Amino acid sequence: MAPPATQFELAQPPNDAISALAFSPDSPSRLLASSWDKNIYLYDKLQNSGGEEGSHGTLLRTFEHRAPVLDVCFGKDGNEAFSAGMDWQVRRIDLDSGEQTTLSKHAAPVRRVVYSKEHSLLISASWDSTLHIHDPSNPSLSPLPVPLPGKPHAIAASPSKLVVAMTSRLVHIYDLSALSNALASPSPSAQPPQPWQQRESSLKFLTRAVAAMPSDAGYATSSIEGRVAVEWFDASAESQARKYAFKCHRTAHPQPDGSGSGATTTTTTDVVYPVNALAFHPVHGSTFASGGGDATVALWDAEAKRRMKVYQKFADSVAALAFSSDGRYLAVGVCPGFETGMEDYSGEGRTKIFVRELGENEALPKGKGK
Amino acid sequence: MGKKKRGHPDVEELLSRAWCYYCERDFEDLKLLISHQKAKHFKCDRCGRRLNTAGGLSVHMNQVHKESLTSVENALPNRQGLDVEIFGMEGIPEDIVQQHNQRIIQNFYQAQAERYAATGNPPPGQGGKGPAKKLKIETPEEIKKRLAEHRARVAAQKTTMNGGSATHTPLEGRPDGQSPAQNASPGAFNSPFPPPGGQYPTFPAQSVPGYSPPPQYPGAYPPPSIPSRPGSNLPAPHGLPPRPGQPGWQGSASTIDELVSGAAQEGDEIDQLIRMAEARIKPPKKPETPTGAEPPAEGGEKKSKKEKDKNVKMIYDDELSPEERMAQMPRYAFVVEAGA
Ligand SMILES: [Zn+2]
Ligand SMILES: [Zn+2]
Repeated sequence: MAPPATQFELAQPPNDAISALAFSPDSPSRLLASSWDKNIYLYDKLQNSGGEEGSHGTLLRTFEHRAPVLDVCFGKDGNEAFSAGMDWQVRRIDLDSGEQTTLSKHAAPVRRVVYSKEHSLLISASWDSTLHIHDPSNPSLSPLPVPLPGKPHAIAASPSKLVVAMTSRLVHIYDLSALSNALASPSPSAQPPQPWQQRESSLKFLTRAVAAMPSDAGYATSSIEGRVAVEWFDASAESQARKYAFKCHRTAHPQPDGSGSGATTTTTTDVVYPVNALAFHPVHGSTFASGGGDATVALWDAEAKRRMKVYQKFADSVAALAFSSDGRYLAVGVCPGFETGMEDYSGEGRTKIFVRELGENEALPKGKGK
Repeated sequence: MGKKKRGHPDVEELLSRAWCYYCERDFEDLKLLISHQKAKHFKCDRCGRRLNTAGGLSVHMNQVHKESLTSVENALPNRQGLDVEIFGMEGIPEDIVQQHNQRIIQNFYQAQAERYAATGNPPPGQGGKGPAKKLKIETPEEIKKRLAEHRARVAAQKTTMNGGSATHTPLEGRPDGQSPAQNASPGAFNSPFPPPGGQYPTFPAQSVPGYSPPPQYPGAYPPPSIPSRPGSNLPAPHGLPPRPGQPGWQGSASTIDELVSGAAQEGDEIDQLIRMAEARIKPPKKPETPTGAEPPAEGGEKKSKKEKDKNVKMIYDDELSPEERMAQMPRYAFVVEAGA
């Protein structure tokens, strides 16, 4: 019998909403969280109980920024991190020394950062409708700007591709080696790198999240309208025919029909939540997790097109997800969801990070192994 | 399954057999049924523990594994819900019992008629007078009437919650995108029986025209008088208070959305049945949805065709992202300093 899975809550969570979570590439016990409270939080020793009953993980330190931090990722190792700031800056953070270096400045808040280990590239995406391509190992190279046709909302890197989801359902897929080459041999006259493919989102509503398959085969996107799409990079008609989309993170609320006169019918109202976060499992590459405004996390099998698990509801919206590099842990960032019409927002006191230690076969698609 | 007796059991014998609500298999005795249910329908896929009821399994998964049980495994598509509490033969909704019995009776007499046709022998003890003996065979009209009465009763019981579940749930979470609207065609997905597959030759659609699926007895089962349920040492499956220190704790699958088909298993004949049932209920592929991705939206058009008729409430519906909205709040706004 497999040991039961365990889930624990980190002590000392951020003071306001979480924008992103990231596990260290070389340790499953090291986790970064970026927050709207202008800080990045570095946790360690996730597996060990931190003394107090029910308290897990140790907050090693925080890294203060000038403005809310919209994204964070690790770099080449567990000591290097990058942040996307509301203050328009992309920063490199040395997690040991705490030293912060500004890598580039956009002309608007920076929404996302993603690091490609395969190409040693850092890509930042800003609401100024550009990407900046950085080589963090060569700070003398100035970042290469890549203009976009719309504001980017989500980006993800597979081993060879970069997926950029923008407003107006625009999706660009870039070849990472092309970006790398363009950065390494800049020529003033050359036009900026062109996308390898331009697509229209499979989802009709605003994209919330993108995650790329570790197998390099494709990616998943999610929207504000309780839906996830899975598609493949291969542009052949055959591969494109395999793409699909499905509804999720919704609840149905039956309501008595207002027509009166003893009618027994009910109308059902579907409450549709945004799907805020997606993450592929690094080991079982067909498995991915989605987290939604309905406060749930589900595991899906992309190949078999079926749902594997739903975890018990959290107290608030799921804002961020991350798998550890060994696939044993799933971190879940929980805070109140932002809803249409809200004039004020605060995640204070309700922002939490849960770390779930997965059972041996928990993320293993059925019919494989066991 | 038990060994078939030589000869042909009479219909009362067939009717007295224990059978499983979830998969319609029948068993020699209640003990076998209960162990079947524990092994096939109430087994924890995380640790292998076998519980006595779906509610017990739900509590177990919540407490031990921090997971929500979404549906009963290996169950027929419209029997996966957690809102019916079954233990052995207890808790089966009355209309389902009736349907089951009707099916047994129909199959029995059909098989008998076939034997009669094949052998030329009249059924024993009936002198060719036709099947009606002690057992009353209801006509489709009678069944309809009874179901109508039943539905009225259920409707009266229905309060505010869960009413529409039967038309909505099981495929909701299947990533192939089948929408509730598509599921809703009665007689296909909602048919209370698996497809014939040679087993159930005439029932139900033909004999119960206009039949619609029974509501799943929200809160009405189990009846208060169920005796000595072995699971009673378990905490009650519904209405448990959250465990201290578990902010995310919720009772057994609380929303209809969570009652999702999880039935695609490898293996035995139940699963085969389920697959057949699933295969049959799949709506004809429309080019724009289930397998292919969605069609492009036209300009500002937001609601897809199939959703126009439904009430849909989007928690967030905006051209700007939540982050952009939040960035406009004084609390989070960044003001570029001169010379910064
Ligand atoms: Zn069964
Ligand atoms: Zn278990």
